[in-house]
Amino acid sequence: MSATFGTTGAAAFDSNAARQPQASTRQVSRGVALASGVKLAVRDLTMRYPNGHVALQDMNLSVQAGELVVVLGSNGSGKSTFMKCVVGLNRPSAGSVEVAGRDLSSLSGKALREARLPLALISQHANLVRRRSVLANVCCGSLGRHRTLATAFGRMPRDEVAPALDHLAEVGLAQLAGQRAGTLSGGQAQRVAVARALAQNPQVLLADEPVASLDPEAADEVMRLLRRLASEDGLAVVCVLHQPDLALRYADRLLGLRRGHTILDRAATAVSNREIADLYMADA
Amino acid sequence: MMSTAYKTHLPSGPSALRNVLTLAAALLAVALFVQAWIVVQARPQDLVTGAHGMADIISRAMPPAFDQFKPTLMPVLETIDLAIFGTVFGVLLAFPLSILAARNVTPGKPFYYGARAIIGITRAVPDLVWALLFVTAVGLGPFPGALALAVHSVGMLGMLFAEVIEDMDMGPVEALTLTGAGRLQVFANAVVPGVMPSLLGIALYRFDENLRSSLVLGFVGAGGIGFELLTAMNLFQYPTVAFLLIVTFVLVACAERISAYLRSLVA
Repeated sequence: MSATFGTTGAAAFDSNAARQPQASTRQVSRGVALASGVKLAVRDLTMRYPNGHVALQDMNLSVQAGELVVVLGSNGSGKSTFMKCVVGLNRPSAGSVEVAGRDLSSLSGKALREARLPLALISQHANLVRRRSVLANVCCGSLGRHRTLATAFGRMPRDEVAPALDHLAEVGLAQLAGQRAGTLSGGQAQRVAVARALAQNPQVLLADEPVASLDPEAADEVMRLLRRLASEDGLAVVCVLHQPDLALRYADRLLGLRRGHTILDRAATAVSNREIADLYMADA
Repeated sequence: MMSTAYKTHLPSGPSALRNVLTLAAALLAVALFVQAWIVVQARPQDLVTGAHGMADIISRAMPPAFDQFKPTLMPVLETIDLAIFGTVFGVLLAFPLSILAARNVTPGKPFYYGARAIIGITRAVPDLVWALLFVTAVGLGPFPGALALAVHSVGMLGMLFAEVIEDMDMGPVEALTLTGAGRLQVFANAVVPGVMPSLLGIALYRFDENLRSSLVLGFVGAGGIGFELLTAMNLFQYPTVAFLLIVTFVLVACAERISAYLRSLVA
């Protein structure tokens, strides 16, 4: 496995090089669909809460395999509502959310659970089971494919151990496989959360403020990893961030939200710092 | 001036009213204590006049009857076994009940209220009363005592277990749910590992409590050292009483130390 985490200084990082897709052996071994095409399609998404508040209005977004889209916006702009609608935690008032070609917006229960399998989510907090090993936490990502009695009693599927180790190697933490998750640093924990997400064999990876609680160096590592998963493994990555500098450095495309409306949807290289500043100042 | 600037931002509450309320609260606390003194008919002078009687009993209890060591072994084992039985059955019944009684993981409101009702009833009735009921039902001996401890433990452990589950970090649960894992898988892989150390600690503490309780249960015919103690007191065998009290002290102290050590291991 070639995944390594070297120098992470922001200054040393070439943002153009970061966006270059590279060949990877992981894509074959993990069986991730690398075929180009839209993996996440959000159409006319509207979310109106029972109290009448419109959190999202006619939002449209399509994310291709291998693309990293960063969603920016001030608090209350609708970023979290958008993420909740995509993963099916909120049922949208109107519009549709298609993941790998299947509409999630009208599903519930078992059907939603199955349709959500190609979709993995990383949150602000790694949400690892602290008393279990790093490897066990990663294996948990594959539970959706192994609905057996043994896994219902806490046993991990045997044939998922080797892939889980591969995923850990991919995030540069194979040497910590046997360590308790509770002993990891914030950056390490978040990378294990990424490995757990990879164990799902997802086609779409959502990251909801994945670096919010990390120091700059760890944040850079995590963003570098997400960038690589998009470029090399062909995942469609959607990341909510509050750090415009990271967004500009790693994203292919930026999506700006304000009061539930999309006011910016453009290639990251074509977005100026001024436009991003305006995005945040607009609600001030 | 800086200090003046700060003062302007300090809350200027009605300090006189606050003082009156503090005084009223203090007077209420004193009144409560005085009524308790009256109701329990407290007579400190009786402690002074009764000191002679107590000294007499102590002198008659000396030296403790250490020759009773061998016949005491079986009651000691019985006492320990009462606590083991009561704790094990208590844990086995309380764990599933606590899952139903924890708001964040319960499958539904009827289960929640049902489980809470069972926990409430088993907890509200003291183990001594349960022992009296079971002695009536199954006769004298250690078994009714063990049943009493088990039933009361269900209530105590059920409530504490449910509180631990309710307070647990739900992040891993949500994370695993979103991976497509089923309810049982999420429960086994996120809930159980998250709460197990706390539950084990509580169970060990309960064992410690049950050991103390099993001593008292003997007084109502539920076996163990308590029963031996009652018999010795009724027969005015004060040296035996003294020896049994020493055994009790050693037993409780050892259980306390072992329980604390094991709890530190699982913490």
